[in-house]
Amino acid sequence: MNQTPAPIVFNGEWLWLGNLGHVFVILSFVASLLSAIFYFQHEQNKLGNSLIWGKRFFQIHAAAIVAVFVVLFSIIFYHRYEFHYAWRHSSNSLPVYYMISCFWEGQEGSFLLWLFWNALIGLVLQRTAKDWESPVMVVVAFAQIALGSMLLGFHWGELKIGSSPFDLLREQRPDFLNIPILGQLGVGNYLQVFKDGNGLNALLQNYWMVIHPPTLFLGFATAIVPFAYSIAALWRNNDRGWIAHALIWGLICVGILGLGIIMGGFWAYEALSFGGYWAWDPVENASLMPWLIMASAAHMLIITKATGRHLFTSHLLTQLAFWLVLYATFLTRSGILGEASVHSFTDLGLSGQLLLFLLAFLALGLVVVLQGTQRRIALISIAAVLFVPMILAYSIKSPEAVETFYQWLKGLGTVLFLGWLVYYVYALYQRTKIEMDDEKLHSREFWMFLGSMFLILSLVQVFAATSIPVFNKLFGYKTAVPSAADYNRVQLWLAMPIMLLMSLGYWFKFRGTEWSNIKKPLTQIGIGVIIITALLMFGFDIKEFKFVLFLLLSVALILANTVYGYQKKKWEWLRWGGNIAHVGFGVLLMGVLVSSVNKNILSASKEGIDLAPEVDQKGNQDVKGIKFNRENQLLYKGKPQPLQQYTALYIDERKGVGADSIDKFFKVAFIKKDDQGKTVDSFILEPKTQNNPKMGLLAEPSTRHFLHKDVFTHVNYESSMDRKEPFSNFRVDTVGFFRPFITQTGKVVMTIDSINRSKDSNGLRIQLAIKAKRLGDSVWLRPEFLINEQTGSFDMQPAESNRFGIMAAILNLQIIDPNPATQNIRFVIQTGEKTPVWDYIVIQVIEFPWINLVWAGTIIMVIGFVLAVLNRIKKQQQLTS
Amino acid sequence: MKPFHLILLVLAGIGIATVISMYGNTTQYVAFPDAQRIAQENPGKTVHVVCKLNKAKPIVYDAQTNANRLEFYGFDSLNNESKVVFTKPKPAQFEHLEKMVLIGTYDKDHFLATEILSKCPSKYEDAPGATTASK
Repeated sequence: MNQTPAPIVFNGEWLWLGNLGHVFVILSFVASLLSAIFYFQHEQNKLGNSLIWGKRFFQIHAAAIVAVFVVLFSIIFYHRYEFHYAWRHSSNSLPVYYMISCFWEGQEGSFLLWLFWNALIGLVLQRTAKDWESPVMVVVAFAQIALGSMLLGFHWGELKIGSSPFDLLREQRPDFLNIPILGQLGVGNYLQVFKDGNGLNALLQNYWMVIHPPTLFLGFATAIVPFAYSIAALWRNNDRGWIAHALIWGLICVGILGLGIIMGGFWAYEALSFGGYWAWDPVENASLMPWLIMASAAHMLIITKATGRHLFTSHLLTQLAFWLVLYATFLTRSGILGEASVHSFTDLGLSGQLLLFLLAFLALGLVVVLQGTQRRIALISIAAVLFVPMILAYSIKSPEAVETFYQWLKGLGTVLFLGWLVYYVYALYQRTKIEMDDEKLHSREFWMFLGSMFLILSLVQVFAATSIPVFNKLFGYKTAVPSAADYNRVQLWLAMPIMLLMSLGYWFKFRGTEWSNIKKPLTQIGIGVIIITALLMFGFDIKEFKFVLFLLLSVALILANTVYGYQKKKWEWLRWGGNIAHVGFGVLLMGVLVSSVNKNILSASKEGIDLAPEVDQKGNQDVKGIKFNRENQLLYKGKPQPLQQYTALYIDERKGVGADSIDKFFKVAFIKKDDQGKTVDSFILEPKTQNNPKMGLLAEPSTRHFLHKDVFTHVNYESSMDRKEPFSNFRVDTVGFFRPFITQTGKVVMTIDSINRSKDSNGLRIQLAIKAKRLGDSVWLRPEFLINEQTGSFDMQPAESNRFGIMAAILNLQIIDPNPATQNIRFVIQTGEKTPVWDYIVIQVIEFPWINLVWAGTIIMVIGFVLAVLNRIKKQQQLTS
Repeated sequence: MKPFHLILLVLAGIGIATVISMYGNTTQYVAFPDAQRIAQENPGKTVHVVCKLNKAKPIVYDAQTNANRLEFYGFDSLNNESKVVFTKPKPAQFEHLEKMVLIGTYDKDHFLATEILSKCPSKYEDAPGATTASK
């Protein structure tokens, strides 16, 4: 007879907590759906109480999202490793303040964070949108439906809708139930084995990683509001009232996103070892793209608001900004970047759903742009029929037999998508085009428009380069991802016209300016800029023409906006916003220029020193003209090493706090002397390494900040990573205090100097201080001997010195007189020898001049955005009251 | 044609030129023999090679002789073997790397890599039994 095995009872699981969380996920999803329906009913049909119901359901939705957040946090906080998310992203040793970082290590947590910000934004909109509330909230609730579906975690065979953060470990990883140890314990007791989690990525355990991701996500989330207003305006028959609202939110988005991006750069600079704050990594670019386009869109909105021109461009850019946020999500979350990025994101198999997400918003745009119900229904249904199979092709792993068919479907889908996009832009143009005379050459709107377009050009390059992995996948190309230098070469030139237009723009008035009015101030500023640039050229030591030009334009940007603000706005600070943001951007770009052009690698080898075999007679270049990255220096412990104007000395190292710490801090002194040999500057840096069992050696840099420069250093290699030579020449001596004894070869003489006894829960611990001498040099060895008084067993802890190439261990004690006061004890000491090695570290040391300008510029820029937003809100309130 | 449209046209031209010049500058993922050929035809041009470490052959890094030189042998995606010289210190857990992307150029008998892109073998997801067993 066939016997079905009894179902396994799993002990100790808090299933109710996960179920509770899942209930809240479903509640939030349903509430957002209902909210969207009721808001829609109110907007379209003005049905009775539907506005109130729309409001209430959105509030319920927001409350449910907060509840999901709390449940997920509790699971992490109480270390409930029966849940996959907690096991995968946290561990017992994780401090509470880093537990919040677990939310953004995993995708489900990231979506949850996004939902949270959107819900908060929705609540703000309920108070501020006034008569725009219902159409705008339809869009926000629609986004919440789409995002919420990512957390549903429903499975039908191969098809997967969302990934729940409350999935169980044993369901996600059924292989874990087969580990041998559970054979004895019983599979039902698996939690007794899974007592600790896999842990949070060590790189995320940094205070900047607590604050940077939520800021960035808030920036991403705010991008939906201008988009929602644009859609709402089209829905309301091309109403113009959306612009003021969209502008305020657009400025908020640019400010927060900009802050979030630079925070990420600061984290990379402070905690990662790639030596810089920006690497043009696809994930960084993914956050830069929405920023560039939103900055451009905000300026277009200003033009449209002031002059009524470029309504189409305003609509297009605000909508594209949101789509780029979705595209960025797709890039970073679908796993398509693969090896192109150092940021590792796992693929949850949601590519199809993410694509559906993109398409749904495009469809939403199309529905409001097209006029006539029949045309809408026809187009949407054709698209649906065509796209559904293609989405499925992306969602379901293809059976091998029909592999080509699947590829073909995907290709067709891409072409159709692009066609649809083009058609959409055309339809949008037809709806929103405005017939007006050309703007005048001496009007502000003309220069602003030009500047916005150059921002778009900059975006086009970033987009084209970052999307290479996508094109590779779609068309089977094998193009490698461009290097940072490829980006810099192009972006340097694209930034210049933007800077020029940012300096000039404000001096022109909307609709037209008298040349004679601005001739004089602009000439004066021009002269000022040339003088200041000439001075700074020498101060910053910048010589190459293109860099001088860049410097000149950044000076112009700062000066022109400061003078304009002072002349036109005097002390009305609130009106300074735009100028201050421009000045901040100028300071930031100046900092970027100076800190990267004159970045000085102190640890780089010079000609003639340390000639490597493949270096030719000319020095640091090989025959093919490639500069070597000969950027690391070896420092022996205790031996000073000149690094250009500094002398570096590796003094010592210490372990991190805590008995099982895997952190190591290397104390390196930097001394700078003048011609007379007087010390003019000295400081100590402590770069850290973490020998992470999961990730290998993680180096955390240490940086000395000066006002005008930073000295940045990190350890790339250290002697303990070398393969160890084993000890030999063992010898055993039985000795008492102060009696010299020697190693086998006699090269080292040792004496026991003192003894240290301590008692702890493990028993009696005896530590000896042995002084080892060799050729006038000496070192202390501190071997230990542990006696467990209950069991009578003992244990030993040898001590060694790499520099002397010796080790000593206490094998036993011989107590001649039981009274320890007489110190009449003999120790059985084993010594061993090997080739002496000096401890060393291999470090990179970089000097970044004036890097503080980058951070200062960011802060100034954010202040500018805050003022600009406050000013716009004030104007809006004056208008309505 | 209005002057405004002319400006748009010029901007579009700059955009297209930018993108084309960028794609012209990109390199391809190639195999070692191709890298060798490209290095002869076009000295100094860097290429990307997807490489698998040959664990059977020695990995030489002696920081005390030269802290900026690592030598090893690797296979490209078509299983051609080549000696590789990397001009930086040995990356952490290098012996365990499954796959890496080398950026550099071919020089006589070896590939000279100035950059190695690798996903660190992050996050081994081991069951507790397995990790304790390996200690």
